[in-house]
Amino acid sequence: MWEIMSSRSTDAALLVDDQDTGPQGSVVLQARGAGKRYPGVIALDDVSISMRRGEIHALLGENGAGKSTLIGILSGITEPDSGEIVIDGTSTKFSNAAQSQSVGITTIHQEQTLAPDLTVLENIFLGRELRRGSLLGRFLLDERAMRKRVEHLVEEFGLTADDLRRPAGTLGALKQHAAQILKALAFDARVVILDEPTSGLADHERMSLFENMRRLRDRGVAILWVTHRLDELFGLADVITVLRDGHHVATVDPATQTPDSLVRLMVGRRRSAVAESSAEARGNRWSGPEEEILRLESVSRAPLVRDVNLVVKRGEVLGIAGIAGAGRTELARIILGADRADKGQISVNGKQVRIRNPRDAYKLGIAIVPEERKTQAVLGDFSLAKNISISDLSRVTRGRMIIDRSAERKLANVYVRDLEVKTSGIQQKIRNLSGGNQQKIVIARCLFTRPALMIFDEPTQGIDVAAKNEVYRLIYEFVDAGGGAIVISSELPELLRVSDRIVVMREGRVAGEVPAGPDQSEDERSDRAEEIMALAVRSSS
Amino acid sequence: MRIRERLASIAAVEGVVVALVFVAMIIFFSLSSPYFLGSQNLRNLFVESTFTVLLAAGTSYVLIVGGIDLSIGSVLGVSAGLTLLTMQKTNSLPLAIAVGLASGAAIGLLNGGLIAGMGINPFIVTLATLSIFSGGLNVLTTRAQLTGTPSKSFASLAQGSVFGLPSPVLITAIVVILLELVLVLTPFGRRIYAAGINERAAHMAGVNLRRLRPQVYILSGAIAGLAGILLASKLNSVQPGLGSGYELTAIAAAVIGGVGLAGGQGSVWRSVIGALFLATLSQGMQLLSISSTWFTVVTGISIVAAIAFSRMTQRLAAAVRPAPLPPAPTQPEPSPSDDRTPAAAG
Repeated sequence: MWEIMSSRSTDAALLVDDQDTGPQGSVVLQARGAGKRYPGVIALDDVSISMRRGEIHALLGENGAGKSTLIGILSGITEPDSGEIVIDGTSTKFSNAAQSQSVGITTIHQEQTLAPDLTVLENIFLGRELRRGSLLGRFLLDERAMRKRVEHLVEEFGLTADDLRRPAGTLGALKQHAAQILKALAFDARVVILDEPTSGLADHERMSLFENMRRLRDRGVAILWVTHRLDELFGLADVITVLRDGHHVATVDPATQTPDSLVRLMVGRRRSAVAESSAEARGNRWSGPEEEILRLESVSRAPLVRDVNLVVKRGEVLGIAGIAGAGRTELARIILGADRADKGQISVNGKQVRIRNPRDAYKLGIAIVPEERKTQAVLGDFSLAKNISISDLSRVTRGRMIIDRSAERKLANVYVRDLEVKTSGIQQKIRNLSGGNQQKIVIARCLFTRPALMIFDEPTQGIDVAAKNEVYRLIYEFVDAGGGAIVISSELPELLRVSDRIVVMREGRVAGEVPAGPDQSEDERSDRAEEIMALAVRSSS
Repeated sequence: MRIRERLASIAAVEGVVVALVFVAMIIFFSLSSPYFLGSQNLRNLFVESTFTVLLAAGTSYVLIVGGIDLSIGSVLGVSAGLTLLTMQKTNSLPLAIAVGLASGAAIGLLNGGLIAGMGINPFIVTLATLSIFSGGLNVLTTRAQLTGTPSKSFASLAQGSVFGLPSPVLITAIVVILLELVLVLTPFGRRIYAAGINERAAHMAGVNLRRLRPQVYILSGAIAGLAGILLASKLNSVQPGLGSGYELTAIAAAVIGGVGLAGGQGSVWRSVIGALFLATLSQGMQLLSISSTWFTVVTGISIVAAIAFSRMTQRLAAAVRPAPLPPAPTQPEPSPSDDRTPAAAG
């Protein structure tokens, strides 16, 4: 059933502009001249891409570059206005996702798409269940046959036979990814599209995922891989295609590239200078008194947060590191009042406080940019203006009763301009913005409350390089003006760069503290990174 | 093609379709029956519709916040009963009104408390309170003879007129307008939409759901209480089972008007149009001597038709919208980014 490509030649990857079918990596899927236009925006303009057997094809581009649209077209979710899809040399059209699946294209989305309450096995065969052969049996599922079909794959992709029986929702992000891969392999996948598979994974989990990708490649599957992390590409991707503003910029061999050259392709020459310089731009640090904004004393909430002590001062960025499940987000939720501490004390500006809900937190000057933007931050049907003002409506309310819409619009415009949000206007619905711009609106919402302390939980999840740098800039501007920030991130380089010091959490406790900051040299940073990893994973005694 | 675009752009305006169907229906009935537009008939029509209109207006709040309130029919009955009882015992109109409103608000508080405080599904909570309080009304009617009060002022609440307008219609109109304004103009209304659009995001953004949700159910209960007071005044008698089924009519009205059950979308006036639509339909059918038993059938068909029609217009609008745009007017400009200045964000 699978043809294993033992002698993959890298030549195939080098002949990237050659559309002919090569002997080793024959073209399985092509998009030719694909175009898609939405009201006011050309999402994709005359983009072509070829996918070959046994090839990992990375797709790069900033948010809004057209990656999602291209993926949508290939997976049958989005109908292109122009262009064609060619499979094995024949031109086809997908009018729904099932048609794309039926020719062997599987898409694994950024957000997990497993049904959390069904078992892994049920998820793998969802909608395509195997039935028993007999007349009556056709109404019965043949679990044995389904199990048998994936049995030999299970261990290879890091699952256990036992995991198949567990509800998918009880598995970690990595195992969920593995389950999705099995879902693809159980039905002859020829093309697997991975949409930012590593977001939300810890470093060692990413390594396992990469192993899985290599195994898929060795089985002759073509992989289209969307990622924002350029460091991941090298040594794994065979070809890289870069999109910008809906256009195809280049298809290149990674061997000829560096992270910097890729950034230049992604953002274009005009902006690369800004992107690079703003990386280190942290000019005027806060020079006022370094008062304590937040102090936690033996704060606990069983079982995920235990006996945490920490302090955040004006003008500083406190990073919180730790592997998934270390209790970082849970701690943030306690500070915000979304969950309550079982014991311990929280003081804000030197006064002991009780934060019973987020409303209390906002009143005390604490605001959060939550993780999982789509589910926890964005009010999709609201305009940008309404998304910005929601956390402090008193700023735009006349006589404590009526919302002054023109004042709201004016203020929202100020934030949209200051944060350089790309939009056709503040009356636009937020769900029509790209991820990076949505994140800026969420940050604007926090700034709108004029907070003393901001918590950033995975603030750059799923946004592109340029937008990331802008998020860092906003964090710096906030603390340099006298605010305090807590940044939670699973990406160590990011944390090392953006924080002044880093608290490492492990199993709900503070395992240690490490200095950090933009002034550190590369060597220092890699030492610190090792130190943090050691603190984060060392088994508890 | 041009006509299609026009049609689509008209249909895309919220609530236009129902309003047009509503007007068409009025024209149809007035042509079919000379009495339909008669002042007596219109008067009846409006007075009859006030109860549904009120409940539908309250229901919009509950639906927009992402909940559902099945108890309002029984709230109406209980508050009608308690109002009449208070009237009989004390003969004090203000006290009776206060009892009617308070009983509705109290049941709303119970609903909201169970939903927000204990996290029980609103459908289940209000199904339970529906059962509890319709049973409560039955008990009440067996204990007390709820017919007639000597008070003229109580009767005039629903039977009197102000400036030639039936007073219940006037009261309802004022309440409905207030409700719409509160929903659109106040922070309270804004938070209701936010909670309905994305509950978790609203919570993280500082919307206090533990307070907001009970407030909405209290409001819904109090409005049902008001409807109960008016109904008690109109009938001057309260029987077991009074108000039962009103909750479904109210939800039907909201849905026909175009308020979604998923939350975050809709308005008071859309529900009101839906309620008026149903009331007009019922009245028109009576005039045409169609048996009232057919009314529920037609209601059901209207719900399906309303949903199907709004889906169709949405699709039509979506299909047509990209075409009339000039080629990419708001496309990101090629290079305005050289003058990107670091902006002050605080």
